[in-house]
Amino acid sequence: MPAATDEGARDSGLRTPWGTIAAFLLPALIVYVAFTAYPALRTIWNSFHKVLPRREEAVGLANYAELVADDIFWRAVRNTITWACTSPLVEVSIALLLALALYARVPGARFFRVAWFTPVLMSYVVVGILWLWIYNFDWGPVNVALRALGLGGWTKAWLGDPKTALPSLIFVTSWMWVGFNMVVLLAALHSLPREVIEAAELDNCGWGAKLVFVILPLIRATLLNLVVLSFIGKMKIFDLVWITTKGNPLWATETVSTYVYKRAFEWTTFDLGYPSTIAAVWFVIVLAAVLTLTWLFRLREKLEY
Amino acid sequence: MAVVTLDRLTKIYDRAHAPAADAVSLEVRHGEFMVLLGPSGCGKTTTLRMIAGLESISSGTLSIDGREVSRVPAKDRDIAMVFQSYALYPHMSVADNLAFGLRRRSVPRAEIERRVTAVAGTLGLSGLLERKPHALSGGQRQRVALGRAIVRDPKVFLFDEPLSNLDAALRVSTRGEIGRLHRRLGATMIYVTHDQVEAMTLGQRICIMNGGKVVQVGPPLEVYRRPANTFVAAFLGNPPMNLLPARATGERGGRAVRLGEATVELPAARCPPLAAGTPVMLGIRPENIVARPRDGDGFTGIEAEIVQVEALGAETILAARVAGMDRDLMARIGPDSDATVGARRSLSLDLSAVHLFDATGTAIVPDAQT
Amino acid sequence: MPALKRALLLLLLCLYTSFAAGPFVWAAMMSLRTTTEIHRNHFALPNPAHWEKFSEAWFNSNYGIYFANSSQIVVSAVLILTIVGSMAAHCLARYKFRLNRAIYFILFSTIIFPPQITIISLFQILVQYGLYNTKVGLTLVYVAIQLPLTIYILESFFARIPSDLFDAARMDGYSDWEIFWRVSFPIALPAVATTVILNFILLWNEFLYAVVLITEEANRTLPLGIQQFIGDSQEDVGMIATGLMIAIIPVVVVYAFFSERLIQGMTAGALK
Repeated sequence: MPAATDEGARDSGLRTPWGTIAAFLLPALIVYVAFTAYPALRTIWNSFHKVLPRREEAVGLANYAELVADDIFWRAVRNTITWACTSPLVEVSIALLLALALYARVPGARFFRVAWFTPVLMSYVVVGILWLWIYNFDWGPVNVALRALGLGGWTKAWLGDPKTALPSLIFVTSWMWVGFNMVVLLAALHSLPREVIEAAELDNCGWGAKLVFVILPLIRATLLNLVVLSFIGKMKIFDLVWITTKGNPLWATETVSTYVYKRAFEWTTFDLGYPSTIAAVWFVIVLAAVLTLTWLFRLREKLEY
Repeated sequence: MAVVTLDRLTKIYDRAHAPAADAVSLEVRHGEFMVLLGPSGCGKTTTLRMIAGLESISSGTLSIDGREVSRVPAKDRDIAMVFQSYALYPHMSVADNLAFGLRRRSVPRAEIERRVTAVAGTLGLSGLLERKPHALSGGQRQRVALGRAIVRDPKVFLFDEPLSNLDAALRVSTRGEIGRLHRRLGATMIYVTHDQVEAMTLGQRICIMNGGKVVQVGPPLEVYRRPANTFVAAFLGNPPMNLLPARATGERGGRAVRLGEATVELPAARCPPLAAGTPVMLGIRPENIVARPRDGDGFTGIEAEIVQVEALGAETILAARVAGMDRDLMARIGPDSDATVGARRSLSLDLSAVHLFDATGTAIVPDAQT
Repeated sequence: MPALKRALLLLLLCLYTSFAAGPFVWAAMMSLRTTTEIHRNHFALPNPAHWEKFSEAWFNSNYGIYFANSSQIVVSAVLILTIVGSMAAHCLARYKFRLNRAIYFILFSTIIFPPQITIISLFQILVQYGLYNTKVGLTLVYVAIQLPLTIYILESFFARIPSDLFDAARMDGYSDWEIFWRVSFPIALPAVATTVILNFILLWNEFLYAVVLITEEANRTLPLGIQQFIGDSQEDVGMIATGLMIAIIPVVVVYAFFSERLIQGMTAGALK
């Protein structure tokens, strides 16, 4: 690809080769515009219309008004946000403990690291089915174990009981993602300057003091980053719910993404306008949440050492 | 201040062929400034870290003030260390960096306040107390690292090559500060470096190490003037001592040696009788060579061809090729030399300053001197 | 650390490992047992091990078709992603122009987008252009959704290549394309490999877009196929387990060979 010619050399002689740049960027930009930007804008446009199989009807803000009064939507929002707020706390704290254990140079650290990362690699479909079986009332390991320990009274239809369904699913995603967070935190711990930790040791810091005064402050950015990543991930969650409960029982596990899917493809009336409205509103909510978190945690500040 | 005694301290890392530190024995006296000097990998830092308690001791014992501390955790040894990379806490201000160790030791707040202010004042850090390390220059960080150690008022100070990350000018001034610090506090200090200038200027005694072992211990000038072997001889001094292979001829009472194509008679004060054919190493420092003929009078002349002249202003360094010798002779002479490359000169060696080493590299010392 | 504490810690860690890996081991065991055997005792070891279940699943239950579809779609998508992504990353990393950071930010920020904002319209668009329910359509969508992450990982790698290499190449007369193809790309091969492996795993497991954009049995990807199965035959646990293993095995193989690279790729950007 020849460099772009310029019309009359400028002062420094360094001209921006627009032709080359375009050639390199165009494929990616075309894909982006065609399959991300344009669809996003079109969804927003949809939200102001009734989108039926063969025609579209402009309805202004009617969809939005309907959304405000939609109980199911708000239930879904509550579920999703609960998920997005509890998961990070559970995942990151357990991951931190595991990472600290490996950091303390336990034998077999390399094996553990590889083993614990495995759940992350599996499709949500596989994970969903496995846990459907694990939570099975009659023969799933959870209830079987409870009965074996004489705690038969504690057995439940974990995914069938509206009270336990969502927590059970949150448990599953935690099971999946703890490994991921642990790997990242372990890398963060290993990147800490060794001499600073040694200086803390000479400054009369035992394990606890080292953790609180030196290690945690230095990995703070990574910790918060993981919290935000986990939050974003749970705001988007669909696959797991779809495979296991599809939002049941009684909307107890309904998330915004499953609700959008249902309204778009499984509703008695076919209208893509309303689900587009949900998508648009949710988009704004997610963006706002992420920006707030980033600002709150001041993740911009980088600690140099 | 304290006495630090190392008794055959050894460190072997897992899966290593040789010990990193091999039976290091050393006694650091009360209030002494001891320098551990040697090339990279000689075991000096390993030894220092064992003293600090940051490395476990494979065998041997370590005692401070007569109390064995080999298994005592680092924080209980009453030792402070200045790290090569300063190791300041990046997330804490200078004031907090200084106060941290004291707070962790439950020193009363008023006392902490007093000490921090005092130390900051001495080191010129008073205006920087609220800054974080990343906002400080290299020299300032170095001083905070120093301050952190001073504020602890420990029995022993340990320094791990603290000047190697500074530029040349800062190195000189900080070196002076450390020296002044020692004179003021009179504390026991153990200092690791690979730089012989630091060792010579700061050390009251130097412990030279190589390959994990202690090679020689002594005051700087003594180690300089009476090196125990060729390693020490070549390590100290810049340019290093000339080491010339020679062979004893057995003549003149066993004190004649064949040096290249010349035969030289060494003074009795420097050379015991040697059997004919004994291979020796003749050592002569560049400053003990003069670039003009001066036979007799304790000097011996040697014909040489100048191959390199480095005029440094205050002095001139010559490299000269001598017939029959495979290495060039380095000489350090006055600034007013008219030597040019290619010129043939008669160089005179000051035989009273000659060092003799046997085939293994150990110094040969006549019995009269010890 | 005292020996007792260390032993206890090790025990805890081993317990956690069985918690993390347990479900898979259980599935693997069940994949080799018939459903009748399983219902008799859900936790027994396979005895005998019914390896023929795998060929049964492959041929009789269409897993072979699903596997082939997934392979075609994912391999094509990853190929396109690698080429398009590295070209864009190279450009953003090496050429200074005013819109550079803006474009980078726009591409990168789409990672936060919830898929719902695009999926409904994508459905409409694919239907409109006759790409609905086709492998081509899904492939293109897959390229789009993984592009931001790919460019993110590659851009930071390309940016770290010393510019001296490019100056030298330019002085040797290479054209811009040759510089990309002969200098940038080969040097960035480790990062490219990482994105290839990463994209492979993520797209192999992808479910949401597949479920919306593919409905025809002949075009189903593996995750869709499995989901269909639990819908159809809830009780055939043995067969489902075998299907799960067929889905998992490629991932495990890739992980076995490339665990380090995969872990690093997936956690890139999380470490600050």
